[in-house]
Amino acid sequence: MSTDPYCRMNSEFTVSRREALQKVGFGFGALAASDLLAAMKGGESISESPLATRDSHFPGKAKRVIHLFMNGGPSQIDTFDPKPSLAKLDGQELPDSIKETLQRTQRDRAGTVWASPFKFSKHGQSGLEISELYPQVAKHADKLCVIRSMQSEIANHSPGLLMMNCGHPTLARPSIGSWVLYGLGTESEDLPGYVVLMPNGMPTAQSRNWTSSFLPGVYQGTHIETNVKKGEMIPHLKRSDIRTGTQRNLVRLTQALNQRHQHFREGDERLNSRIHSMELAFRMQTAATDAFDITKEPEGIRESYGDTPTGRNLLMARRLVERGVRYVQCYHGAGQPWDNHGALLPRIKTLTKESDQPIAALLTDLEMRGMLEDTLVIWGGEMGRTSTIQKGPKDVEKYGRDHHVDGFTVWMAGGGVKGGMTYGSTDDFGLGIASDPVHVHDLHATILHLLGFDHKKLTYRFSGRDFRLTDVHGKVVEALLA
Amino acid sequence: MVASVAHAQPKGKMSGTEYFEKHVRPILVKHCYECHSEAEEAQKGGLLLDRESAWLEGGDSGKAVVPGSLEASLLITAVVYEDPDFEMPPKYKLEDSEIELLKKWVGMGAPGPAEDMGDTEFSQLGNQEVIFEKAAGHWAFQPVDAPAPPEVENKAWNAHPVDRFIFAKLAENGLTPSPQADARTLTRRVSYALTGLPPRDEDTFEKSPEALIDDLLASPQYGEHVGRVWLDVARYADTASTYRPDTKTPHYYPYAFTFRDYVIDAFNSDKRFDQFVKEQLAADLIVSENRAPELAALGFLGVSPHRNKSHDFVDDAIDATTRGFMGMTVSCSRCHDHKFEPIPTADYYSLYGVFNSVNRPEPWDINEFPVIDGYDPDEKLVADYKAQNQAIQKKIKDAGASKKGNNRSVAEAIKQTELAQLLVSHDGAPARAMSVSEREKPENAFIFVRGEPANRGDRVPRRFLKILDAAQPEFTRANSGRLELAEKIIDPENPLTARVYVNRIWGMLMGDYIVDTPSDFGLQGEAPSHPELLDYLAAEFVENGWSTKYLVKLIVTSKTFRQSSRTVEASVEVDPQNQLYWRANRKRLRIEELRDSLLALSGQLDPRMHGRSGQLWGDEYSKRRSIYGFVNRFNQDTTLRNFDFPSPMQTESKRTENIVAPQALFLMNSPFVIEQSEALVASLEFDEKLDGPSRISAIYEEVFHREPVANEVKQVERFVEIEEGRNVQPWSLVAQSLFMSNEFLYVD
Repeated sequence: MSTDPYCRMNSEFTVSRREALQKVGFGFGALAASDLLAAMKGGESISESPLATRDSHFPGKAKRVIHLFMNGGPSQIDTFDPKPSLAKLDGQELPDSIKETLQRTQRDRAGTVWASPFKFSKHGQSGLEISELYPQVAKHADKLCVIRSMQSEIANHSPGLLMMNCGHPTLARPSIGSWVLYGLGTESEDLPGYVVLMPNGMPTAQSRNWTSSFLPGVYQGTHIETNVKKGEMIPHLKRSDIRTGTQRNLVRLTQALNQRHQHFREGDERLNSRIHSMELAFRMQTAATDAFDITKEPEGIRESYGDTPTGRNLLMARRLVERGVRYVQCYHGAGQPWDNHGALLPRIKTLTKESDQPIAALLTDLEMRGMLEDTLVIWGGEMGRTSTIQKGPKDVEKYGRDHHVDGFTVWMAGGGVKGGMTYGSTDDFGLGIASDPVHVHDLHATILHLLGFDHKKLTYRFSGRDFRLTDVHGKVVEALLA
Repeated sequence: MVASVAHAQPKGKMSGTEYFEKHVRPILVKHCYECHSEAEEAQKGGLLLDRESAWLEGGDSGKAVVPGSLEASLLITAVVYEDPDFEMPPKYKLEDSEIELLKKWVGMGAPGPAEDMGDTEFSQLGNQEVIFEKAAGHWAFQPVDAPAPPEVENKAWNAHPVDRFIFAKLAENGLTPSPQADARTLTRRVSYALTGLPPRDEDTFEKSPEALIDDLLASPQYGEHVGRVWLDVARYADTASTYRPDTKTPHYYPYAFTFRDYVIDAFNSDKRFDQFVKEQLAADLIVSENRAPELAALGFLGVSPHRNKSHDFVDDAIDATTRGFMGMTVSCSRCHDHKFEPIPTADYYSLYGVFNSVNRPEPWDINEFPVIDGYDPDEKLVADYKAQNQAIQKKIKDAGASKKGNNRSVAEAIKQTELAQLLVSHDGAPARAMSVSEREKPENAFIFVRGEPANRGDRVPRRFLKILDAAQPEFTRANSGRLELAEKIIDPENPLTARVYVNRIWGMLMGDYIVDTPSDFGLQGEAPSHPELLDYLAAEFVENGWSTKYLVKLIVTSKTFRQSSRTVEASVEVDPQNQLYWRANRKRLRIEELRDSLLALSGQLDPRMHGRSGQLWGDEYSKRRSIYGFVNRFNQDTTLRNFDFPSPMQTESKRTENIVAPQALFLMNSPFVIEQSEALVASLEFDEKLDGPSRISAIYEEVFHREPVANEVKQVERFVEIEEGRNVQPWSLVAQSLFMSNEFLYVD
């Protein structure tokens, strides 16, 4: 284990005083020469930073990720997993043998089978079946790699979100974005490397969804509320009482102090790093303002995404990855908007309407810029929903579906996945996995593979043990790879 | 590590070996090796199928192959798919022909490969017998040996025991210590080391270092500083990690603050550390007075990240206790025997029984938490609290048993939000201990196989860890056994507790640790750079009544502590990381020290101690020290996180030190920093006629305790001139540029 070069790199990532100094001596050895060159070109010695770009275990097809998180648990059988078999069963009670397979709460609440009222049709050359709720996304059918046999563990939101994001339903573990940032560093010198966009508020389980946990805090996601007034998205990004020119002079005055201070303290890299980080901060004031300012986009582009919270978020996501940000996660909304226990019909229509056009625009936009091939787009929630009504309402408009973790849908596009394909299937009741189960751990292993990592070797030593995102599980699903 | 033992002798049944390689191995490779072979680095259920010795020995469930017996071979039981709880491979059944081949193979005596791989490092991972053998020689498990400080040639370095250990090691490596730092540097260094604050005007190291050290140790600011170090270990916070989804408010811990105050007071009164440990684990079992302030010590368990009494609560208690006090990573044994440390999973469940026998009330069931002495709010405050409380209690009563939506009780919602918010913020409310208590009937725990509560194994008695107490006598049946656990931890014979603690204190003062993994002293932890010094300090500490102040003074009166932090090229070549302490370590201010310093220098620091937590920044921020800041687990403060404040989700071994741009943004743009800069300049009350250089001197003197050099005066004057030309008030910006500088942020 200790012979794994990645483990040895761990020590350089946690920048304790001792290790910060060690970097002066040994840190560069662990960095690829190309990274050094890249850093030198930029005139910045970001190589000393724990965020410096690093080579993955092998060349990955994806260089960055945009994760569209439909938090709350979208209903797969109304969107991407057609179940014609349910038509015959519609209105019937579940046989006990099927009911037994549900988790306890869902078993108690399971009503009759409810076939999807939405029409599915074949799209693209691949003939991928997508429901009428996603007409714009359907136009990209040949780009989608739809996994219909996703499997998670606990059918509830917090554990589901933490499982999907951090690989464990309850324990505090680093999120996948933190692992990716730890593994690859970031290409942006003036923006955070892992950004979480949210129109307003927080999703369920809050900042635990993007925690770096025991990884150094520098790998934590930066949560940004995008519906707030311009300039307030990143804390302390601006001050209004003085002009940029005055601030430039203030920073210069400080740097003059720092240079003199450093002159008498040669050999302490931290002092140098701090001088650089103040320069970065100064640049970030403009860069971040620019990255989040979508009014700088041509009108046509803005229109294609739509001037809605999701539209604006996804456009910001594209602007961020374009500027080298490694991992962007976009939540649909605060709390758990896709949690349609009741009134599913009107609600899912709204939710899909809110997300359809922006997602389609994002895929088109990335493709147009030649970025789709190395940007991995992921769509999905923390779980799916049952094919049965959740007991209660008599009126179809008030019907809802319950939580479900054995057979739900996640799709990916770009970044080295095969397009126009489905993988795995659910059974006739849409309540169990009929073939090729893909556990969340397997999805994680596959995402890391696409980024160039052997998930078993992307490890971090903590509390006497080498931890990894997939714990002791996970298997790359080869069939999804292009 | 363990050498590979090859079983090279021929087996004399070549046809059998051929049969294995031709018919059986391919089946195993195709269907089993993914989870059961060294090549795949997988050993699920503790089973390997790539060697004869391993399948004969079997895994967690028993023997995989018993040659000649289909019934006794679990491999066969698993592949025939007749027991629904025991099917392999897990996702599909083998072809009938494959099953037949395996049966035939077992029937013919299960011949193995020509050469068995034997025990390899990989196959022995988690083999507790082997690990215990190794642990028997591990330094941290040996009794603390109080070595005499070595005699050294250098007279000046032969006077203080710490210096003698340090000098001897330096000399051994051909290094010499650095000269002593100047008085101004030392005044600042010792002030931050002992109080986390910049020196006061009257402080000077020059006249009498000893008097200054005693003075700082006696100041209340000492406990507010060292206490915070302990709060990192105790993963202190004012809320649980979860929240109410309907109101988006955290699950408050309205009495966490009494634990924080207890910790501050414990350090200020120099409470014996053994007593400190005992009270945090079992105060309710040792104090008899109803309102004893010591009951607040139980907050160590009470401020858990997990609100409910759940498996995770117990797991966290085990983790904080074993890593925090003893540097043992016991919680890694939750699902299986520890892979690297002498900690069988049975030990985990012995402690599980202890902490699971604890009763943990919901935070809003107020009366479950005892009111404690030591807080005397004035009558007006109390009256105001009473009025507000009454109004809320009425609302609770009116709500009765009514429910809203998803079966949430309205009364409970009011308790968890309005009432909790009142209790968490109102100083007129009675102070209570964030305590735990005994469950009516303590119970031993079952081992959860693979960590799953549904999968019960043997029941194990409540008792101490095997590696530290070979006989493992059972704890009393009368209660949870927390007190006995505490006594085992503080037993002077316990080789870990004192070592772990003195290492933490050394790290706090010196900026680096003797053992670089302060919460892991196990086989996987780092070896000590100075084992004899560590043992000397541990022995002295225990000998002197487990007195932290004694220990601190012992360290800071050494010449080692007083060295210059300058780098010396020749020494860097030998010891680039300064592990041998040939110079002092330059330390970055922690976020608390940074915030407290800004408040102190601007003259705004509110010295009031104790009481409920306040906001660190924002519109109505508290001007008290940062240790009194509200720590919200469920929505952690961005600025704290940006400055490496630990996530209170688990016990913290040591802070990381990252340098990221948001730290600079905070110093450049936050209203808090801007306001302190303005207040500092206002407090200097510049006369209108006072010239530039005098003003510059005054600001430098205040922040850096030194005169500016000529060049600096010139630069600042130029800045002032330009900005005044732009109609900007420049002096608070000058002060801010000092606050933004490395000279301010780092302590030489």
